[in-house]
Amino acid sequence: MESSASARNRDGAGGSRISAPALMGIRNLELRARAVVEGFRSGLHRSPYHGFSVEFTEYRQYSPGDDLRHLDWRVYARSDRYFLKKFEDETNLRCHFVVDQSRSMDFGTVGYTKASYAATMAATLAYFLHLQGDAVGLLSFDERVREFLPARHRPGQLRHLMLALEKPAGGTATDLAAPLKRLVEIVRKRGVLVLISDFLAPIDRLENSLAQLTASGHEVLAFRVLDPSELQFEFQEPALFEDVESDRTQFIDPGAARAEYRRRFEAHGDQLKSVCRKLGVGYHPVRTDEPLERVLLEFLQERGRRRQPLRRRESGSRGGGA
Amino acid sequence: MSFLTPLFLLGGVAIALPVVFHLIRRTTRDRTRFSSLMFLEPSPPRLTKKSRLEDLWLLLLRCLALGLLAFGFARPFFPEPEAATTPSAAGLPRVVLLDTSASMRRTGLWSAARERAEAVIREAAPEDAVALYTFDRVVTPRITFEEWASTAPGERGALVAQRLAGVAPGWSSTRLGTALARAAEALVERESGRTMERGRVVVVSDLQEGSRLETLQSYEWPKGIQVIPAGVRTAIPGNATLQRAGETAGGAAVGDDVLRVRVNNTPDARQEKFQVGWVSSDGGSFDGTPVEVYVPPGQSRIANLPQPATNSHPDRVVLRGDSEPFDNTVYVTPPAVRRSRILYLGSDPASDPRQPLYFLSRALPVTRRVGVDLDQRSPSAAPVNAEWDAARMFVVTEAVSESVAGALRSQAESGKTVLAVPRNAAAAASLAPVLGIPSLGAEEGSPGNYAMMSEIDFRNPLFAPFADARFNDFTRLHFWKYRRIDPAGIPGARVVARFDRGDPALVEVPVGKGRVVVLLSGWHPEDSQFALSTKFVPWIVSLLEIAGGVETSSPAFLVGDDIPLSAWGPDLSGPVEVIGPGGRRVALPAGAASFSDAMEPGPYVVTVDGKSRQVVVNVDPVEGRTLPLAVDELERLGVPTGPMASAAESGPAVPPKPGSRRDSIAEEGRQKLWRWFLVATLVIVFGESVLAGRLARRAPSAPQFA
Repeated sequence: MESSASARNRDGAGGSRISAPALMGIRNLELRARAVVEGFRSGLHRSPYHGFSVEFTEYRQYSPGDDLRHLDWRVYARSDRYFLKKFEDETNLRCHFVVDQSRSMDFGTVGYTKASYAATMAATLAYFLHLQGDAVGLLSFDERVREFLPARHRPGQLRHLMLALEKPAGGTATDLAAPLKRLVEIVRKRGVLVLISDFLAPIDRLENSLAQLTASGHEVLAFRVLDPSELQFEFQEPALFEDVESDRTQFIDPGAARAEYRRRFEAHGDQLKSVCRKLGVGYHPVRTDEPLERVLLEFLQERGRRRQPLRRRESGSRGGGA
Repeated sequence: MSFLTPLFLLGGVAIALPVVFHLIRRTTRDRTRFSSLMFLEPSPPRLTKKSRLEDLWLLLLRCLALGLLAFGFARPFFPEPEAATTPSAAGLPRVVLLDTSASMRRTGLWSAARERAEAVIREAAPEDAVALYTFDRVVTPRITFEEWASTAPGERGALVAQRLAGVAPGWSSTRLGTALARAAEALVERESGRTMERGRVVVVSDLQEGSRLETLQSYEWPKGIQVIPAGVRTAIPGNATLQRAGETAGGAAVGDDVLRVRVNNTPDARQEKFQVGWVSSDGGSFDGTPVEVYVPPGQSRIANLPQPATNSHPDRVVLRGDSEPFDNTVYVTPPAVRRSRILYLGSDPASDPRQPLYFLSRALPVTRRVGVDLDQRSPSAAPVNAEWDAARMFVVTEAVSESVAGALRSQAESGKTVLAVPRNAAAAASLAPVLGIPSLGAEEGSPGNYAMMSEIDFRNPLFAPFADARFNDFTRLHFWKYRRIDPAGIPGARVVARFDRGDPALVEVPVGKGRVVVLLSGWHPEDSQFALSTKFVPWIVSLLEIAGGVETSSPAFLVGDDIPLSAWGPDLSGPVEVIGPGGRRVALPAGAASFSDAMEPGPYVVTVDGKSRQVVVNVDPVEGRTLPLAVDELERLGVPTGPMASAAESGPAVPPKPGSRRDSIAEEGRQKLWRWFLVATLVIVFGESVLAGRLARRAPSAPQFA
């Protein structure tokens, strides 16, 4: 567990930080989210209300009946073909939080579980986005979809989202495939998907699921929530280890098993990271003893980074289409 | 310290369990929840030295509890510190029992047994007290303790040889129980001052299954006397026994001219095929064709043997094919029909199913051994002396003249039986001279709807066959009519049964040597249902038995049985002569009640008062059961046995067993140490629980936030 001071030094952002344990001591999820966001905003001194702008996203071939106002006459002049310009309102961001609530998340050695940390993280980000006027939605899952709130920006939406997040973790397995497939079916409009999970599942299954999401045009950010003990495996006494998801027990002598565990765990993390990079998914490992402001900062930085490559890609496609 | 059930000490091995559990348990007690086991491989349980040291007290208590439990179950006891522990068996008095029963006639047994007995005696120290008894059906002391003591040690061998010189196995059965009891008594009488070890009984015998031990069931075996079975075995296993089978009801179906014999084969037998046939008294070849019998080992078969041809007179049935012939001969009384004569004084036609004679003629038994001739005479006809003297019984149903009544009375006085069944009051009244009274008042009884028999004296021989609860229900037997007389006026009259109104139904009047039986209702349907009931035939047969018309006891005896002479007739006072097998003649004093010297199988002709009858004496078939006696059979009867020792070992050289199992049980039952072990176990278990609880509280498991 690290102190707030060290956290501040690390991310370089100013403002007062609340340490993760202190934050998690607040019972109300909304209060937690608000505490993080307000603290963050007071330190950041950066207004999210930077005005609306209309951004071009893509061209579409004209078909009779389309509004002629959006016809790009310059393209017509060059290519003698009718193309419509499509625009996207930047502030009208549609963000879905996809939160893992399987039982493997119901584990923690720092005084709270990964599930509650993940819920706080989702609530914080949602609260932040909501303040910006963005539409936020939620999909919580274990081996199937537990809760789905479509992304909206309206009064009460945040409250519904908080209530859904406060539900205890259940399920017996982390299976991203079925919930994400369902998500692709439900969420037709492209937007941002913030995936919060421990990703403790075989890599090939994770890869398939993530590929489905990116293929459907969503911008995906993956936050991997991990308990410090999962990273270090600092147990001392030999004991019967019980899998919280399957209740399977296994006798483990940590002294003997630690090195192998770390090796396999890191290999899994590396594989996951490379899969994310390949698919264009932002991958962010988060320890549950880290302050949430850092997560928020990473989220914003990632959003900022992502905007440019997206544009470049779109302009490329425009060239191809023309 | 000794143990009654030392095998339970093996339960102490269970101490290893808590030790192992302690080692393993320590490593598996904690459960740690973890998010996923996908990166973990199971580690083998590690037994650390640390865990052994941590719960040492707990482990100690658990081991102690298990150990004490095993100890308690082993039923420990302290053997009585007495003569039993001191191996001074040298001075123990000893009775040597030598078997001379028929089964010892088997090949090689007798010489082996004799040698063995002599060896046992020879090995006795000079100061030892030894007695030698032989036994079969009876126990015969050959050398008593006194004789032994009074003989110089150097001459004792000669004494034994001299006393056993004329001894050979007889034909009697083995009464081992009686012999053991007698030997024990001899040892008790010769009280040696010891309480735990009074002496030994060395049984030199074939110890066969057929040894009779019934005596021991009611005999309390004295403490401190041990039986050493010194068994001798024959080289040839197996034995088949021939036995006469009873004549069953099925015998009639087989035919009267068939003799049923049973062949038993012992389970260890090698032979299975036998021949059974008649043999003449010369003991040579079969008379006629023998019957082939196949008897698998351990089973028995009945063979139906045709009666021999009329011109030959074989007296025995012999089994051939068995290696041990001592029990292969059954002597059979030559078949002779004993005919009795009954005079029926009545005028009713025998073919009329409504009349008494019709039923009587059908109820009389006719078997191969018994024939009853029923002659009808008019009640008014003058008695013919020859006819009347030949009759055993008289049946009167109608009124008789005074002369006939007088003749009946004189016949009764001479020992015959008169059955009076008056058909009417007049007939009843006419019985007065027969009963020896001037007049008899008789009238028709008034039973109302019907009368039933009650107050039946089942001890009377007439009703004795019905004494069993299954047969003594006479309430279904209805009497429509009966005659009423007053038995009070008849001297000696005994009312055996009454009607339910209290009137006599059956009166027995002893007259001289004989008797008059008055049945006051007829058995024909006009009077009652008696003739049609199941009681009638047994009742008539009982009456005939009383009258001496049939004989129930078989004239076949076993070797050693007393042959009662009463069957030759009552009150015989003449000289008795018995001609045994081989023509041996024995004269008994006049008035002897029985002949008790039938020690050989074979036919015996007994002549009493000039009246001769042949009886046969056979070997007890039980003697043929030659399988070895189960050793624990004696223990079961409360007789402590020592080790099955050889002749040389059964002597004093063998250290005696420190108390027999029976003594151990008694000793353990007295001390009951197991209770204390159980209490100690409970205390320790309680302590263990307290300690374990304290330890568990002191070391709470590591906090888990899940």
